[in-house]
Amino acid sequence: MSVAPVEIERTEAESAPFEVPDPDVPWVTIVHNDPVNLMTYVVYVFQTYFGYPKEKARQLMLDVHHKGRATVSSGTREEMERDVQAMHGFGLWATLQHDK
Amino acid sequence: MTGLFKRAHGGGAQLTLDPVEASILRSLMVQMLELIGPGPGEDAPEDPLAALFAEGPTKPPADPALARLFPDAYAEGPEAGELSSEFRRFTENDLRARKRDDAVAVVRAIDDAEEDRKGRAVVRLDPDGCRRTLGALNDLRLTLGSRLDVSEDDDSLYALPDEDPRKPMVMAYLWLGGLQESLLETMF
Repeated sequence: MSVAPVEIERTEAESAPFEVPDPDVPWVTIVHNDPVNLMTYVVYVFQTYFGYPKEKARQLMLDVHHKGRATVSSGTREEMERDVQAMHGFGLWATLQHDK
Repeated sequence: MTGLFKRAHGGGAQLTLDPVEASILRSLMVQMLELIGPGPGEDAPEDPLAALFAEGPTKPPADPALARLFPDAYAEGPEAGELSSEFRRFTENDLRARKRDDAVAVVRAIDDAEEDRKGRAVVRLDPDGCRRTLGALNDLRLTLGSRLDVSEDDDSLYALPDEDPRKPMVMAYLWLGGLQESLLETMF
């Protein structure tokens, strides 16, 4: 009889996650400027992969070009790893990081 | 001299190349295929099942052009190196395979091209071929751009004297840019 509560306690402790990711601090995918990729190609990638409207895709491309980098998507770490992998597939220079 | 991509009837795109251009484009794609290669998984086990579970590389490629094609995924923070290695281990082999497939698709399209009355190669691409060719042209430009050390602040590359050994590669780089741009226009 006295064992049961201990077991329950242990189960709870084991199922508790070690790190609780802060849902308010998402991960982001950043595309960096490079001298080779064509502006029209970068817009194409943002439109086709992310499904962004042309104006948004174009603005992001200009941000990459003028500011050196732009945040192109945000979400969970897994989602951002998928986006970065896709960007590398298109030949864009992309990284992911915890948003600040 | 050079033809550009045009929208094809019934979808896709079409490019007419003279024999020299066709051979240059093909040979550049083949050289890129050799550069990309099977990657560090080369010494993967013969057993296809074991190869399926073989892990990819953990370090960025030493060649700067390959390092550009397969960049690190994490750049900031104390764990960036470790996280990039882990990411690379699970993604780089797939990425290499995709880039190879795209370049092979371009080589095949050139080989399958019909000859017109003037002896030029008429390369036809379906929508999937357009997508692959667009990617392969971009990878090729990244490769040449890395070899030429292209930068936004320095346009001296575009005014090289004829005797400069880099000149042919610069011409090819610019030509490929025009091809890529014209292909995009047909798709978009």
